[in-house]
Amino acid sequence: MNRTFLTAALTGFLTLSGASAATTYPLTLKDDLGRTVTVKAEPKRIVSMLPSTTETLCAIAACEKLVGVDAYSDYPQQVTKLPKMGGLYDPNVEAIIAQKPDLVLVSQYGKLEGPLTQAGITVVAVNPETYDEVFSKTLTLGRVVNREAQARALVTRMKSDIARVEILTRNVVRKPTAYLEIDPTPYSIGPNSFMGVLLTKAGARNIIPASMGDFPKVDPEFIVKANPQLILGVDAKTAGARPGWNSIGALKTGRVVSIPDDLNTMLGRPGPRLPQALRGLAKLIHPELFK
Amino acid sequence: MEAAASDRRGAAGALALPLKTAGLVLLLLSAVVLGTGLGSVNVPPGEVLGALWRGVTGQALAGNDVIVWQIRLPRVVMGVLVGASLSVCGGAFQGVFRNPLADPYLLGVASGSALGATIAIVAGWPRTLIPVTALLLALAAVTGTLALAREGRRFPPNRLILAGVVVGSVLSAATTALILRGEDRARQVLAYTLGDLGFSGWPDVLTVLPYAALGGGALLLLARALDTLQLGELTARSLGVPVERLRLITVVAASVATAGAVAYVGVIGFVGLIVPHVVRLMFGPGHRTLLPLSALLGGALLVYADLLARTTPLSQVGIVTTLLGGPFFLWLLRRQVSE
Repeated sequence: MNRTFLTAALTGFLTLSGASAATTYPLTLKDDLGRTVTVKAEPKRIVSMLPSTTETLCAIAACEKLVGVDAYSDYPQQVTKLPKMGGLYDPNVEAIIAQKPDLVLVSQYGKLEGPLTQAGITVVAVNPETYDEVFSKTLTLGRVVNREAQARALVTRMKSDIARVEILTRNVVRKPTAYLEIDPTPYSIGPNSFMGVLLTKAGARNIIPASMGDFPKVDPEFIVKANPQLILGVDAKTAGARPGWNSIGALKTGRVVSIPDDLNTMLGRPGPRLPQALRGLAKLIHPELFK
Repeated sequence: MEAAASDRRGAAGALALPLKTAGLVLLLLSAVVLGTGLGSVNVPPGEVLGALWRGVTGQALAGNDVIVWQIRLPRVVMGVLVGASLSVCGGAFQGVFRNPLADPYLLGVASGSALGATIAIVAGWPRTLIPVTALLLALAAVTGTLALAREGRRFPPNRLILAGVVVGSVLSAATTALILRGEDRARQVLAYTLGDLGFSGWPDVLTVLPYAALGGGALLLLARALDTLQLGELTARSLGVPVERLRLITVVAASVATAGAVAYVGVIGFVGLIVPHVVRLMFGPGHRTLLPLSALLGGALLVYADLLARTTPLSQVGIVTTLLGGPFFLWLLRRQVSE
């Protein structure tokens, strides 16, 4: 335990604010839209408009506080029974207000905070975008809903689970150069994006340099030139049909792997299932480690 | 372009025409050469030529050959085909509707193909099916527009334009509704509706070629009739031009060419609207020069725009054409006025 904790500390540092167990209300914080928000009392009726937020709340024993979720929240099982409030771009504001929430957690995208704030509802925008933010925002959510101790325990658990995968992948002799496609336009992921960090931790060398940004649109000829040994996120048939791609090493050796839907969902969600997503990705890249 | 700009007071001199045509041919050639030579991966000129030689003669491809022969050249050729098709169609539409704001997407081709592509993308069908559904719905959209606009056996221009607007709006709304259903694929749909030449290979080029050749070729043959039509509908009729049939053939031919252009690369804005105007300003309004020269200029411009898209953060050819096309066109208009 102690050793895994040390490795966890290496992978990303975590600021432990005082050892207070309970949140004192009213709580004032700056949210991810840069607004200063005051949460008057412990929220009892929460609407979450982001799947990763929904998962985090449930992972820190605040699931029973949820009275509504967005259309894409589908995990854990029990949230599927909750009333659906629409999606990020077509939220059902009336349905949200009808639930009489004392807190609505939104993302920094979409335009929910305006109408909801006008309706007198407390709105906090929380959305982790980098790897480190997955942990810091978990702690923030813990503070907001008075589950600080649980949030801290969750972060510790996540980091030790991640460290367990990293111990396997870190000393792998051959780390394949990899291209991970998140969208067939094609878009890929840079090494500093949170998915990019997972790709590296899973024991692959990303062909996308940091200079291209976090979610770059890639010129197809760049991929052919980089000649990755592994292609993730495309099926072999699609990849083979693309002009010039048959010359790529990954296609010659048959290392073109499409990512299963459930793993894809986990990878795209900066929430408590991050270690599972990493494990799934590592299994695709280094099946030999998990025999 | 530079040569044309420095050419004082030469709107459409008879002698200047062959010169300027040669200039446009050179511009197109330079676009093809630069488009094939430059990109995110540096390939020295000698290697480019070698790659082309090995590609043409069917020898084994080595090193950067694959990039030049299988990725860049088909992409450049696709750019030429699409740019030429859109520009010729734009010129023909502007002529047949006698409306300077007409563009190839006037009758709902773009919104039809965008809906078709979106259906295929949101449903998660393989990429090879995207152009098929795009093409089918593009042609269906034009058919719908023609049916709405028909008055007995006539197709009055105003009714055609109005019908095109209505069909376009309805299909765009349907596309938006679909995008909201399949949010995780929204980026792909957005890329399509902004126009993108990525992943254009030889098979795609060969698919688009007949549409461009048939549609564009038919339009070039109509040039003289379009010239007569500019004298007014009555005059054209009395000179023996079958106006209704001309309109119908133009619409069908342009729709075929536009649908082919849109099927693979999506909706590239501005080219079809602007290029014919640029050619008109430089060479005068006669369709027998306007249409072929529009094809040359449109092809060249689109290849250059795609080169910019590939090598700068502008990222998509449709963004480049719209961002740069607008200001350039305004500048050209102002220059004309001041002269």
